[in-house]
Amino acid sequence: MAELTFTPVIGIEIHIRLKSDSKLFCSCSTDTDAAPNTNICPVCMGLPGTLPRLNHKVVEQGILAGLALNCGIRPKSLFFRKSYFYPDLPKGHQVSQCDLPITTSGYIEVHDAEGNLKKIRVHHLHLEEDVGSLHHSASDGRLEGADTSYVDYNRCGTPLAEIVSEPDVASAAEAVEYVMNLRRRVIYSGASDVELEKGMMRFDANVSMKCSDGRWGHKVEVKNMNSFKALERAIEFEIKRQKKLMLNGEDVIQETRHWNDAKGITSSSRVKENYRKFIVEPDLPPLHVTQEWIDRMKAKMPEMPDVKARRYVSEMKIPPEVADVLTDDKNLAAYFEACVAAGANPVRASHWVRTEVLRVMNEKQWKIADFNIKPEVLASLVARVDEGKISTTQGKEVFDYMTANNSGVDEAIKKLGITEGGVAGNALNDVIQTVLKNNPDVLEEIKSGKDTKGKKLKFLQGLVMKETKGQAKPQEVAEAIEKAVRN
Amino acid sequence: MELYEYNLHELVEKLKSKEISPSEIFESCKKRIDDCEENIHAFITRTEDFAKAQLSKELTGIFAGVPTVLKDNLCTKGIRTTAASKILGNWRPPYDATAWKDLRSAGAILMGKVNMDEFAMGNTCGNSAFGPTHNPNDISRVPGGSSGGSAAAVSAGYVSFSLGSDTGGSIRQPASYCGVYGLKPTYGMVSRYGLISYGSSLDQIGPFARTVRDLQLVMSVISNYDPMDSSCFREKAHDFTHNENPSIKGKKIALVKEFQGFTLDAPIADAMNKIKKILEDEGAIITEVSLPVVSRYAVACYYALAMSEAHTNLERYDGVRLGYTVKDAAGIKEMFERVRSYGFGPEVKSRIIAGTCLTEPTRCEEYYVAATKVRTLIAQEFSRAFGETDFILQPVTPSMPPKIGEADEDAMKGYEADLYTLPVNLAGLPGLSFFTGYADKLPVGLQLIGPRWSDPELLHAGVIIERHTGSPKIANGGVK
Repeated sequence: MAELTFTPVIGIEIHIRLKSDSKLFCSCSTDTDAAPNTNICPVCMGLPGTLPRLNHKVVEQGILAGLALNCGIRPKSLFFRKSYFYPDLPKGHQVSQCDLPITTSGYIEVHDAEGNLKKIRVHHLHLEEDVGSLHHSASDGRLEGADTSYVDYNRCGTPLAEIVSEPDVASAAEAVEYVMNLRRRVIYSGASDVELEKGMMRFDANVSMKCSDGRWGHKVEVKNMNSFKALERAIEFEIKRQKKLMLNGEDVIQETRHWNDAKGITSSSRVKENYRKFIVEPDLPPLHVTQEWIDRMKAKMPEMPDVKARRYVSEMKIPPEVADVLTDDKNLAAYFEACVAAGANPVRASHWVRTEVLRVMNEKQWKIADFNIKPEVLASLVARVDEGKISTTQGKEVFDYMTANNSGVDEAIKKLGITEGGVAGNALNDVIQTVLKNNPDVLEEIKSGKDTKGKKLKFLQGLVMKETKGQAKPQEVAEAIEKAVRN
Repeated sequence: MELYEYNLHELVEKLKSKEISPSEIFESCKKRIDDCEENIHAFITRTEDFAKAQLSKELTGIFAGVPTVLKDNLCTKGIRTTAASKILGNWRPPYDATAWKDLRSAGAILMGKVNMDEFAMGNTCGNSAFGPTHNPNDISRVPGGSSGGSAAAVSAGYVSFSLGSDTGGSIRQPASYCGVYGLKPTYGMVSRYGLISYGSSLDQIGPFARTVRDLQLVMSVISNYDPMDSSCFREKAHDFTHNENPSIKGKKIALVKEFQGFTLDAPIADAMNKIKKILEDEGAIITEVSLPVVSRYAVACYYALAMSEAHTNLERYDGVRLGYTVKDAAGIKEMFERVRSYGFGPEVKSRIIAGTCLTEPTRCEEYYVAATKVRTLIAQEFSRAFGETDFILQPVTPSMPPKIGEADEDAMKGYEADLYTLPVNLAGLPGLSFFTGYADKLPVGLQLIGPRWSDPELLHAGVIIERHTGSPKIANGGVK
């Protein structure tokens, strides 16, 4: 019997906090770090008699995020009430666009196992309100069995975009590339900063397995992943678990499982998935988005990172892995492009940004906005190295001096005692003569023909390079020394 | 004549000319309430201390010094608001409903929060956790509901006007039973912000008064665009100025063809004939419109939508943040169960259960979604009808106010009786419940319905009818 093979079929749901100063349905601040229950009002607390009112700024963020995922925008969408009881949900229902969302379908590109580009279809993006946060006194931090639980409603009503993919993802690696690429695109669009450490992006994965013998395993919803690593590990674990079950001829139970990051396993959710039903939110009229509005949002959309990276490769001949690094951050890419615009050679500039700029940013924990060498200044430094006016090593010294001292190129060169254009010709000969004068024994050995392996000659070259502070071209030095020795 | 007997527009004049002082009218109303309240039981909470505090400050505005009462589903900052339910406990809202804020800014004085059917679910004012209200015209009878307290308070002369809310007839039916005027405005005419929701897409706040002119005055104060309510109108302001000599000459007033076979209590049938005659005498043309979808499906459609919306509106009462709660529950589930089991009355529970079933995933398409589609048809049918007629004349209810206790015997009869009132809410139309006269000392009311945003014209027509029928008298309130 042929060996059974398994194909994972994975769909991913992502929640992203949209960037907005105020909540989705009221004017409370979205600062969730404030003291508990300080950014709340009758509306987001769902007090009797209050009514939601839609924040149009958030709608714009939703449109931008949708466009970033190549989605169409629906001219008319609706809000619904998604009912379930939980203490962090003040109204007993979440207001969500689940049934008629603001966007139609879209896609995100990833690389499959063979390295080919592949589209992961996005079913839709919809807007919804976040819930509050619970703090339990129980040792495992869960509601069941806790003596006391506290609710902080600051997060309640903050705006979320839920992004639902089609089950097009075939591996944990594809899943990670999908969410990373999606995140970058959303950040580029300005819809969200998607700061992972602040919990602005949360993942759920629907994992099932297709077996080569024709069997389909049931779908398992895996929840509670808050990082790329967790998403990757959870999917890998689940694929392995389901494969093993199916190999043993057992059923994969359709259920919700929680990812336990510390233990590295998924476990069956103790609480049964809440039974949910939707009615139209009668307190909010349909959301109409005009073509004019969509066009205005489209005009705001910057070039997307993957498109940009591909352009760097094709137009500027930048290596793909460097292009990826440069486009990871919109502002870094803008910095790089400003360098190029100021006349820097793109390939050289890309290496400078990737190695030197990122190194300093990393050392100092800076963002590109904090970086103190202006792009046109870096461009001039790159040009001088490029034209051979200073060496690469000197260039790096100048670079370090500039960032450490907030100085310009000329000032740094002067302070470091560097001679532009290097030490050559007569200046070089002067240095060589001094070196020879100071090392008569070495000169004697060479002249007497004992330096058969050229070691002594190399020694003299080293001394000259040192004297010129590396500002002489090694080739010229070698030739000049040989000439001087023979004289 | 006692001061409390003045109608609103008279009172406004006399307060303005300082013929009467705010404290004089306050004292007169307070005495009237003290005399009758034992018999009528209109109040859930009397707020005379709050009223005195208001009187101690300088009052400005058109209603400066005019006493009023509010249905207890309208939020009042710092004042207990119960929706006639145990589940809200002693909750004091941290904000004012917009309609009350508007009245308060106009100088109105709050005498109290009045009784209603719990969460506005009912038509007798008997489904209240605080006990029933009695009809001031005959205290053995119901005042109607759900805004029974608001209607009774105006009828008994406690105040010259009040606010209630109407989801399926809850202003028009008690106005008719108590013998006062009541307007259910066009949906979106008055901000719902601060009205404790029953069926959000059907609920509308409106006034009760003893003259149509008084309704005009109240509407001129409370019909404002409010950014806090997304369903509120955004067009230009509506003009509720009183016109001494309005005309309905040449206007078409239709009866609904499909309703003509229905049985009416004799006084109501007589009133229909009397009002038709009056309107014809005024030069109006009595005609007929056909509303087949309304007559067949409106009641089912209404209850499917109202209950579906209601059960989600009532999900927020879980004992976590406000109102009634239990402290010794074994877990969160038990807490929710105990709070809601104890806190809600039987009618509310039955509607929550019905709403839950109607929207349950396997049935949602068949009931809730179907009802939303029927609703569109109903609105279209009315809009077609109003292409053929200016107003529709019909009863508010087919029967006279029942005795307390009798009304609860046959719940389905109550549902069918709603056919005259519910469709108006489904289509978001304005409906005026007006006084026509007395039969055996009981008032008889009828209803005039207009197209959306025709509220001012509807009230002009009301003024004409009132000129013929005379305004209602203040009911004796059970005082021997």
